[in-house]
Amino acid sequence: MRVVIAEDQALLREGLARLFRDGGHEVAATRADAEDLLATVATTMPDLVVLDIRMPPTFTDEGARAAANIKRHHPKVGVLLLSQHIETTHAMSLAAQEGFGYLLKDRVLEVGDFLSTAERVANGGSALEPRVVAHLVAPVHGGRLARLSERERGVLELMAQGLTNAGIAGRLVVSERTVEAHVRHILTKLDIPESEDGHRRVLAVLAHLRAVHEIP
Amino acid sequence: MRERNPGSVLALTGYEWSHDCPAAAAVGTIPQVRGLRLAVFPASLCAATLVVEAVAIGLAWGLEPRFDTIVYAVYTLTLAGSGALIASRRPRNPIGWLYCGTALATALTADLAQGWGLRAAANGWPAGPFAEWVAAVSWIPAGTAVVYTILLFPDGRLPRSRWRAVGWANAAGAALLLPGWALTPDIGYIFLSGRNPYALPEIPTGALVAVGLTLFLGSLVLSIVPLVQRLRRATGVERQQLKWVVFAAALMAGLLPPVALLWSVTPLVQPVAAVALTALPVATCVAILRYRLYDIDLVISRTLGYLALTALLAAAYSASVLLLGTVVGRRSAWATAGATLVVAVAFRPLRDRIQAGVDRRFNRARYTAVRRVETFLERLRAGHAAPEEIQTVLREALAVDDLDVRISLPDSGLAVDLYGRPVTGDRDDRRERWPIRRAGTTLGDVLVDDPPERVRALLPTLADAGALAVEMARLRVELRRQLAEVGASRARIVAVADAERRRIERDLHDGAQQRLVSIGLALRHAQHALDGTSPEARQTLDGAIAEITVAIDELRELAQGLRPAHLDGGLGPALRELARRAPLPVRVDATADRFPAEVETAAYFTACEGLTNAVKHARASAVELSAGRQGDTLVVRVADDGTGGTQARDGSGLTGLSDRVATQGGRLIVDSVPGRGTVLTAEFPCVS
Repeated sequence: MRVVIAEDQALLREGLARLFRDGGHEVAATRADAEDLLATVATTMPDLVVLDIRMPPTFTDEGARAAANIKRHHPKVGVLLLSQHIETTHAMSLAAQEGFGYLLKDRVLEVGDFLSTAERVANGGSALEPRVVAHLVAPVHGGRLARLSERERGVLELMAQGLTNAGIAGRLVVSERTVEAHVRHILTKLDIPESEDGHRRVLAVLAHLRAVHEIP
Repeated sequence: MRERNPGSVLALTGYEWSHDCPAAAAVGTIPQVRGLRLAVFPASLCAATLVVEAVAIGLAWGLEPRFDTIVYAVYTLTLAGSGALIASRRPRNPIGWLYCGTALATALTADLAQGWGLRAAANGWPAGPFAEWVAAVSWIPAGTAVVYTILLFPDGRLPRSRWRAVGWANAAGAALLLPGWALTPDIGYIFLSGRNPYALPEIPTGALVAVGLTLFLGSLVLSIVPLVQRLRRATGVERQQLKWVVFAAALMAGLLPPVALLWSVTPLVQPVAAVALTALPVATCVAILRYRLYDIDLVISRTLGYLALTALLAAAYSASVLLLGTVVGRRSAWATAGATLVVAVAFRPLRDRIQAGVDRRFNRARYTAVRRVETFLERLRAGHAAPEEIQTVLREALAVDDLDVRISLPDSGLAVDLYGRPVTGDRDDRRERWPIRRAGTTLGDVLVDDPPERVRALLPTLADAGALAVEMARLRVELRRQLAEVGASRARIVAVADAERRRIERDLHDGAQQRLVSIGLALRHAQHALDGTSPEARQTLDGAIAEITVAIDELRELAQGLRPAHLDGGLGPALRELARRAPLPVRVDATADRFPAEVETAAYFTACEGLTNAVKHARASAVELSAGRQGDTLVVRVADDGTGGTQARDGSGLTGLSDRVATQGGRLIVDSVPGRGTVLTAEFPCVS
């Protein structure tokens, strides 16, 4: 996997590069800001771009805007957005695309999980920060999510994080058929049309959650 | 009256403000020095009169009562001075020349002749009786001069109406009276010898005097009639001028008859006649030359007031002495002391009442206007009126629309209106202004465009009366400005504190948190490098990284509390995030509109405080959180279904929140009835 890293803090940038190299991946380029990131992506054509949301010069959402730009010009390139705090607005608007992920920065310390999530995004899958998902699937007073059982909510969380049925089965230590049954129940209870495509399913779930939470 | 030079306007306004201060009168006349310079011919007439009068005084000195000599000399010289002034400034007006001539004639025929007659008798000089004879008839032409002065006043033209006949009647009267008086033996008592040396008993002098005197005195009385008629028709300047002469004439009419009656009873009244006579040239002079400098209405009302007061106090004193005398015995010092006390106690209230009564009767305009201002002040003291209304009150009292009151601010001297709004434009510079003073401090000005004469006359008094209201308005303006300053500085303090929170939050996120992640990554790298060689070290590193993760979480929570990063995305995301973190169901209804950062922060903390209260104190089961625009107001509302009864206490979160909301010009309303939940509403003004 060829990776481009954009992070303004040198120490963290080097740490991330080393993390990917230790994991057996190639770091094609590192950048301290988002300015010529698009050009770098065009020349190196990586599998994945890992970038910080806040970067110079204004430290607000340079990373998020650069991520949207990359996805527009290079839809095949996976983009993994990192942030220091939970960022619903940008994350949710970008999450409705293939090959996009959003995680809190400290997730990188769980090296195994982080690298597998990165690979999933590079291969066109999704990844959404578990904390964000946990907020999203929390039952709203009187909402449909309240109809779900405890177990079903757990499955929904993992679905929303971007995991496949097999991945969910692995996490919950149950058979894949059990997971399928749960998924069917969840989709029925939430009135979401069934779909064979795992990614479309994630998108449908996210769209539902966004609607519930009135996130634009 | 429009051609005044600016210097005289200043002197005028400066003077009118302190009309009962003689020093200010002197100041007021300084710029008019040019006007006091006499033309050559009137000056020489005046000088001639002075020389003749000096000789007359020298001759008569010691041979008659001295005050007689002095008082009549003063009269003659006043007449000469007034005449010279008027003739210099208004050479076309015959009154000035009439005065000059009358003064010289009086000096020669009355004073000098009288002096010569006395001195000749004493020292045996010749022509003594002739001089006495001249002096004895000299009053007749002088009286004619008085009648013509009154008829000619103020513009030097005789009245057009049939009242012109008064002048002919007087002339005819004088023509009959002069030979009759001069040749009658009846005036022998005037002469030192006891007889008229030129008496011609064969001429019917008695009839001449009778007819002449009737015509003469009748015309003197009737000459007042056209004057009063003119006064009734006159407006503006002419009215003010006429009032002066009517005043003097009335003074003569009021004083001369009793003086004549008491002439032989007591010599004390004799100088009073001179004072009464002197009043006419002085009044004429003031009326023609300086009618604006002296407030004739005030002079009249004060004169009447003090005359009535004197009479009443004298009566009260006599009555008290009489009454107390019967009680404690005649000639007791106690009676005098008691009467004095009665008079002293009665003086002040009596003076005020009499003055009000005189004003009501003789100066309706002043009385009504002053009364209007006083009524307003009473309402102001009772709290029924606002001090800023003084401008409207003055406009109504004076019946002018283009009147404005300006306050000068104590620190900057800046001119503002009664509500503290700065006055722009230079229009004010062209308006006539009267300073408003109180206790020696100039509070501001009253400005009027082209004030009519009656406004000029009334404004000083009214502005004096209204100074209290102006001072109150000024204090209120100062208070408002200081409050605004305090509010602004409070807003600055909060803004600085918010900026500081933001900086710390950023430092935590981008500094400490990132550094911890880097350290964690370094540890992971080390772990990778160890690669299973030491399971113990690997476990230790896992533990350390777990600690680091906890530390990062804690820092994130801390930064979140300082200033929610979600506010970067507006109130909607921030409030929804807040709801997600709440341990109870929260329904959020938030606008997507954006507001100024400080307002959004204050709105967010309002929601935080409402939620905290619902969770910690109210034992609520659900909360509704809304933020939306209502017109020009952002309304944030937190409603819970808890126990209610919440109150803002000192030091509680609600008090601090109230301050924060007030800083943004908003207000916080706590509606918390026990058993019916709590509704916290914050309203922020925001013009989009």
